[in-house]
Amino acid sequence: MTDLVTMAQSSWPEPMAPATLAAYLLLSGAMFAIGLVGFLTRRNLIVMFLCTELMFQAAGIALVAFSRFHLNHTGQTFVIFVLTVAAAEAALALALVVLLFRQKDSLSASVWREMKG
Amino acid sequence: MDSIINPYLLFVGLAVAGVGVAMAVPRKRVNPQVIGAVIAGVGLGVVLLGLALANLDAIPNLHFYVFGLIALGASLRVVTHPRPVYAALYFILSVLASCGLYVVLSAEFMAFALVIIYAGAILITYLFVIMLATQSPSEERVEVLAEYDVEGRRPVLATIASFVLLAGVTSLMFKGTAGLEPAGGDDRAAEVLVDAAREPTNTESIGVDLLLGRPGTIEIAGVILLMAMLGATVLARRQVDLEDEAKHRAAEQLAARGGLVREEVQA
Repeated sequence: MTDLVTMAQSSWPEPMAPATLAAYLLLSGAMFAIGLVGFLTRRNLIVMFLCTELMFQAAGIALVAFSRFHLNHTGQTFVIFVLTVAAAEAALALALVVLLFRQKDSLSASVWREMKG
Repeated sequence: MDSIINPYLLFVGLAVAGVGVAMAVPRKRVNPQVIGAVIAGVGLGVVLLGLALANLDAIPNLHFYVFGLIALGASLRVVTHPRPVYAALYFILSVLASCGLYVVLSAEFMAFALVIIYAGAILITYLFVIMLATQSPSEERVEVLAEYDVEGRRPVLATIASFVLLAGVTSLMFKGTAGLEPAGGDDRAAEVLVDAAREPTNTESIGVDLLLGRPGTIEIAGVILLMAMLGATVLARRQVDLEDEAKHRAAEQLAARGGLVREEVQA
């Protein structure tokens, strides 16, 4: 009986089993789906952007899991760009949210209904 | 070749998890959030258990389950918590749990970068904006949750859309990942650091991969950040006036608050 902590997944140079990768991908997909549910259901602008950050996070887990599976560093390098885009998005989106809040005195997404066109 | 997980088990588990998530979305009157969270956990747990039982020789280690449970629970709470400040704090918890997963996947450098940049910088900006954009409770007024925070919009439709997407993506797992061969690994850092007479560390490998493999991308990242900074500055310094309707609402609120104080003085 192997040690429970290192079962089927030892450290870096050892290859990882495809089924282990599948477990990580399932976790990442579930996190993405939860973030999507939040983006579609919540009506507060700030929480909606928080949910997009949650989806970025899920994508990062999938990238790192693939990086571990293929034993190269491409996935981890791409997480740096996920971080870059998340930071840029947070700066722009929050500036926009503050601007919108100052105009209508409300964070609700439905006060901007006229933008539906 | 047998499939990596039974498709019926996967779909039934995801459907159960979807019902749980739909129940956990905030509602006005009946709010079965805890029951919803438990049902969602059971659904996803069934799928993970099925995945583990079908591949007994490839069970992820214990830390995967611990960190995964924390990450998913915290994400569910981000989505369902009616108060934005708490949602942001739970998001920090889910970032920390993902960092645990990164360490399990031997990506130490990215784990620490995630803590510093995400939990340390981006989320603090979010917290600042949440505090700027919500009215603080004063002494004579109990905090009232905004109407748009209390009630979700079309929870059932949104959950169906998301979980159908999830089922579509994960159904590739039946045979897809089993067909993948683990690559032999191409660690260029080992060639670059050939004089070092030791294994390259994770940080060194990422640095070599970034600078030798993809030199142009750093420039692109720099341009993205510069444009975001310029855009945010332009947006933030614009002076805007309250619209008439919002002015009216603010005046009413102030009047109501003044009336409350006056009543208390009279009493």
